[in-house]
Amino acid sequence: MSVAAIINEDQRDCYQELTNVAMGQAADRLARLLNAYVVLPIPKISVIENSDLNMALQGATSDSSVSAVCQGFIGAGISGEAMLMFNDASFASLASLMKYSGPLTQSAELELLMDTASVLIGACIHGIGDQLEIVFNQGHPVVLGQHCDMADLVAYGNNGWDKALAIEIHYTIEHVNIECELLLLFTEESVRALNKKIDYLLD
Amino acid sequence: MSDKGQVDTIKDIHWLMDILQNIDVGLVVLDRNYEVQLWNAFMEGHSGVSPQLAKGKNLFSLFPDLDETWFKQKAEPVFQLKTRTFTIWEQRPYLFHFRNSRPITGRSKFMYQNTSIIPLESVTRQADHLCVIIYDVTDTAVGKIDISRANQTLSEIQVRDTLTGLTNKSAWLNVLENYYASQQQGCLLLLDMDHFRDLNHALSHQQCDEILRRIGTGLKTLGDEQHAARFGGEIFSVILAGKGADEAMQIAEKLRRSVLSLGKNSQYTISASIGVAERLDDTPSASEWLSNADKALYHAKESGRNRTSLFKR
Amino acid sequence: MSLNVLICDDSSFARKQMARALPKEWQVEVHFAGDGVEGVNAIREGKGDVVFLDLTMPNMDGYGVLETIRRDDLPAMVIVVSGDIQPDAQDRVKKLGAMAFIKKPIDADKARSVLTEYGIMTGA
Repeated sequence: MSVAAIINEDQRDCYQELTNVAMGQAADRLARLLNAYVVLPIPKISVIENSDLNMALQGATSDSSVSAVCQGFIGAGISGEAMLMFNDASFASLASLMKYSGPLTQSAELELLMDTASVLIGACIHGIGDQLEIVFNQGHPVVLGQHCDMADLVAYGNNGWDKALAIEIHYTIEHVNIECELLLLFTEESVRALNKKIDYLLD
Repeated sequence: MSDKGQVDTIKDIHWLMDILQNIDVGLVVLDRNYEVQLWNAFMEGHSGVSPQLAKGKNLFSLFPDLDETWFKQKAEPVFQLKTRTFTIWEQRPYLFHFRNSRPITGRSKFMYQNTSIIPLESVTRQADHLCVIIYDVTDTAVGKIDISRANQTLSEIQVRDTLTGLTNKSAWLNVLENYYASQQQGCLLLLDMDHFRDLNHALSHQQCDEILRRIGTGLKTLGDEQHAARFGGEIFSVILAGKGADEAMQIAEKLRRSVLSLGKNSQYTISASIGVAERLDDTPSASEWLSNADKALYHAKESGRNRTSLFKR
Repeated sequence: MSLNVLICDDSSFARKQMARALPKEWQVEVHFAGDGVEGVNAIREGKGDVVFLDLTMPNMDGYGVLETIRRDDLPAMVIVVSGDIQPDAQDRVKKLGAMAFIKKPIDADKARSVLTEYGIMTGA
């Protein structure tokens, strides 16, 4: 697994910085929605192979019971998919910050998951798009699963890609037990098109 | 801009408006007070509310059924944070209650909907309007619901005996292993019908099935904590959780008598033999425990059937 | 003697972007640091009269740098340049002694207006 295969070090650095800015914008919206401070980590940029996807996901959260939403996006010949994973322990705190009253049923958790996903995924991909002057259109979100084992989340299959650029952002909320992982995946053809835009910025 | 250019632009806008009117998704534009500003043909068609009627009306007074609190919870961040929001039918089946419009292929009483709520910016870059896009996802939703029901039935089939509704053998053996591993005391009971093959010849299939079903019903009355199963054919097995030998023998006797009573008004004798084995301190494994119960059952058969026998070394 | 400007960011792309955003006519010597530890060292060496400081960095983050500057009373005017645009983050760095806060991505206009507003660059 070599990063150099589809992106070079300068490009990697640039992706990281673009993500840094975009995730800051996303965090700002989430912070305003929750009225809390979102702790920003350094995003992780890597190149993964199709068969490593599950492993990458497993490394993403410490908790084995998770809920996740996926959303595809496309613009200017560049497409990718975003995935937001929550460890299930987060929902209680999330509900109180979002002022959701009533019992924390599976459907209440789905509401929280969807609301957070709308804000975080949307802001993040538009943040990246804005810096590269790409208008991304978002598809409809899909629930991958609630309270499922990390390993069962993504089905294996030959879905037409070998290598992909993975951008991982681990958000935590200060003082409360909320942890989520945002993963953006761009497949090889999209990375080629993205690299062109990146090289233009680097020039 | 030349005159021709202007005409072209106007033509383009005209086309776009036509398309928006006729596209097979619902489009609604709302202002900051949730008053309808745009209402396309899809919305008119499914709701019966015309654009003329809808225009300028508050959405919640037009549709009192619409969950205002929920919708505003989704829409307010769109205004405030200028972010798109999405809802899916798994959260709520629909935003607008639209009846099924397809008498032949429609498989649901109402339309399942996904919605996108997107901010519309004014010249001051404020999001002072929003657009709600409504997608009909009834076919997808019904398909998914069917699949999940089918899966549920499949997993039921995997652990249940369809005739009696009791646990089947393989599932019960798992329960037995777990029970044994949990170090709890108790007794195993094996019940085998006497001369069932002869009964099978004498009675109809349905009558024999009915006998087995009634034994199943009887075993269910022991309660869920006593794990009963149809072990196979005319053999039933029960884990009498936490019961000592004496109590287990009393239960077994009661079972034996109730099986006997099934043939009360029949010219045939219906009876069963029962073997009971207590879990002893030195019972080395679940399978040994089961084999002890089997030995007791064999003993009951050997000593003349229609009786209950306790395993003794 | 010209002013020493330090650009402290872990991303080389961001450092380059920042350097490009500085007004062309501003006569300064520009230095670079790739994380907080390097940044503090450079300030101690007198290379950071004005510091453009990122917040999320490995080894020592921007908050750590601000704390060190304050604790050791290092002579540096700090302008935080960060993607963390939460109001809370801005309050925190101001409390830690940062002079100004610029939202990433940086551009020449933003840089110029902050430099003029705080009188760091005169005669512009």
